[in-house]
Amino acid sequence: MARRVFITGMGIISAIGNNVSENRARLMRGETGIHKAKLLQSRYSEIFPFAEIPHSTQELKERAGITGEKGISRTEILALLTIQQAVKDAVLLKNDLTSFDTALLSASTVGGMSMTDQLHQDANKIGEPSEYLSAYSTGKHTINLLKRFGIKGISATFNTACSSSANAIMFGAKLIKSGRCKRAIAGGADALAKFTVNGFNSLQILSPNPCMPFDKNRSGLTLGEGAAYLVLEAEDVVGTKKTYGEVTGYGNANDAHHPSSLSDEATGIIESISNALNVAGLKPEDIDFINTHGTGTENNDITEQKGMSAIFRKTPPFQSTKTYTGHTLGAAGAVEAVFSLLALKNDELYPSLNCESPIDDFNVTPNMVYKSGFEIKHVLTNSFGFGGNCSSLIFSKV
Amino acid sequence: MANEELVNKLKEQIIQYLNLIDVTPEDIKSEAPLFGPDSEMELDSIDAIELTVLLEREYGIKITDPKKGRKVMSSVDKMADYILENGMV
Amino acid sequence: MFIRDLSCISPQATYFDALFENGAEELHGPKLWAKEPSYKEIIPNKLLRRMSKLTRMSVGTGLPLIKKHKDIEGIIIASSNGSLDRSMRFLNQIIDYNEGTLTPTDFVQSTPNSIAGVLALMGKITGYNTTHVNQGLSFEASVLDALMLFEEGKSKQLLLGGGEEMSDENYNIDSQRGLHKAEDISTSELLHSTTKGTLPGEGFAMFVVDANKNSESLAEIVDADMICHASKEEIVKKAKYLITKNGMSPRDIDTLFLGRNGDIRTDFYYNHLQNTLFSDQNICFYKNLTGDYYTVSTFATWLAAKFLGGAKLPEECFWKQTTNAVQNVLLYNNYDGEQHGFILMRTV
Repeated sequence: MARRVFITGMGIISAIGNNVSENRARLMRGETGIHKAKLLQSRYSEIFPFAEIPHSTQELKERAGITGEKGISRTEILALLTIQQAVKDAVLLKNDLTSFDTALLSASTVGGMSMTDQLHQDANKIGEPSEYLSAYSTGKHTINLLKRFGIKGISATFNTACSSSANAIMFGAKLIKSGRCKRAIAGGADALAKFTVNGFNSLQILSPNPCMPFDKNRSGLTLGEGAAYLVLEAEDVVGTKKTYGEVTGYGNANDAHHPSSLSDEATGIIESISNALNVAGLKPEDIDFINTHGTGTENNDITEQKGMSAIFRKTPPFQSTKTYTGHTLGAAGAVEAVFSLLALKNDELYPSLNCESPIDDFNVTPNMVYKSGFEIKHVLTNSFGFGGNCSSLIFSKV
Repeated sequence: MANEELVNKLKEQIIQYLNLIDVTPEDIKSEAPLFGPDSEMELDSIDAIELTVLLEREYGIKITDPKKGRKVMSSVDKMADYILENGMV
Repeated sequence: MFIRDLSCISPQATYFDALFENGAEELHGPKLWAKEPSYKEIIPNKLLRRMSKLTRMSVGTGLPLIKKHKDIEGIIIASSNGSLDRSMRFLNQIIDYNEGTLTPTDFVQSTPNSIAGVLALMGKITGYNTTHVNQGLSFEASVLDALMLFEEGKSKQLLLGGGEEMSDENYNIDSQRGLHKAEDISTSELLHSTTKGTLPGEGFAMFVVDANKNSESLAEIVDADMICHASKEEIVKKAKYLITKNGMSPRDIDTLFLGRNGDIRTDFYYNHLQNTLFSDQNICFYKNLTGDYYTVSTFATWLAAKFLGGAKLPEECFWKQTTNAVQNVLLYNNYDGEQHGFILMRTV
């Protein structure tokens, strides 16, 4: 019998707060973090709204206690801040961290390329080398964090576009289930960057207004930044620790249709959710609540609703928290895992924002008000990305 | 009738911007459709954005409406005509 | 899991296995470029025109395998930098055109997962699909990923592989970091060097792996492990941990594939592991064939699989040759003296 995997710690930073409780408070109040960007150095900060974390990179360094350190990308600082929270929350001791049985699994899309201007100079040998020479590669933040926390076990960095950190959590759960690890810190981080802003703009999918997931008049996504990590522990080492829930299901599939959009048939979405239900040993009707990918692009939202309708005879309540945090790309799967676990733990639903005229093709609308006392036993959270990468996670009450 | 010199230059630029392999300017027929089921080139929506970039960078023409873009870029001749009317050659 | 078929593009003539007939070719720095095959028969022009070098190499190695083995259910790719040249081209556009109208093709390909995406699309493979970018440990993590999928019983056959491409921009960055040799040096001199840095290379190796042994199995990948920021004593401890966890002792290992790269600053890790645990084993090197890159373990695994399958390795690969029959192989590689990866393989 495979071991059960519990969540014993969480950390998060996003446009709606510096920690778990601040994020929850803003979700309960329905307060978005999407505004005009104040820090992002890009001509598009005047044109598009963003979900920016309102602290300069230097302020974030101070918060993380690394004020004087050089060459650390914004992405890595976000990751560091949230892992500090998660480790404290799960009461992991030094011996726990240095054991060969402890893994660190991260995810990012832009990684150290968040320092876009410095990268351009260093890559083209313009002027003196910058402090970020070693920081650009996507996986470098993980390697540095291993050192900082003294972790000597398995590590991985996933890059599957917008589903990256969902895959990190999935991998962590599997390492524990298979007996390769006793605990894993798993999540992802991505900072707002000129690189991704221009990338999504070149594809013409940035919304001029705050994103409107599942609205007929939606016009694209809003980029955000953030980081979130979970501490996963095997049931035999959890002891009397508090838990937020259990990882019961996970699925991963590829849509195999197009490099940057989802198929009309929702192939990858359906296969990914089905795989997760299968691993959890659950039927569709057991799912009480769905955290959707819900980006607000024309293609994603209609395809996602099609996929849900194909699986669920009656689609359970669903919402998109990208209306709060924007699309945090490589961090999105983990950010939304934290939100899903908060909903599960507290039996509450958060309102999806900006859906004024819902898509009516499938006769379902997102949950648009805060609800307490809404019993959730099993929550499904979905992440889909470029390259056809689809991932689903199911968390259950312990 | 579009300027022949411009048409030839445009064909070379199309090959360059779209990284067409084993295609010479002579292979591209000036009046033939670039997009759609009747085209030989099998170009798609990403190519359309690439050609928009070509027009902006090489001729200072900014096309923001994709529908208009499709019309302008329907053939090499049409593109050349549009450049002569609107661009900086 | 069991390697059933494999393909490799590298700075040596590996695509058609000429390496084993003609021996290793001496290559000169500063950059060891991959010898690419003609892709004309493999990839249609209309797709090839948009592909980065890395995508070409991955499709060139992967697509023929997908066509030959119809039961591949998922794809796991290791590529720390992905299509680096496209990332840099997009980056340069952002600056050169002051964030103006940019071409999306480079952006879409700049993300490392576009390779596994293209392979899934071309092969219509809708199963498990992921991309590992954990620098010098990307492939070791991919091996664990595949092993766990098989243990779960979710798949019977997977496409597993990885590689990197070099770009001028990245060469600039890594040179400024001090990763490369300052002097002119050839592959035959590399491992005797007493200076800092190494020769950078590139390439891609792809494997079809099965959950179960069968008549076509060439070699078994038993397990993988890793450690970062470790002392040389911790490296020995980790190697022992991996070997004993799999029911063996260091004495059972008969051949070592070591990622020695001629960098005076980090080669002592190899010496220490070899002298402490493996004094009587065959010692094989491979970076004097390919140079160094994040996912060079894919090349080492390809070479070890060929060796376990009965191929005669070029003499340049042997640092020390014993009379030991080849049965159990340990691959150890470190990247930049910081990221240490192990892969355990054996005969079938």
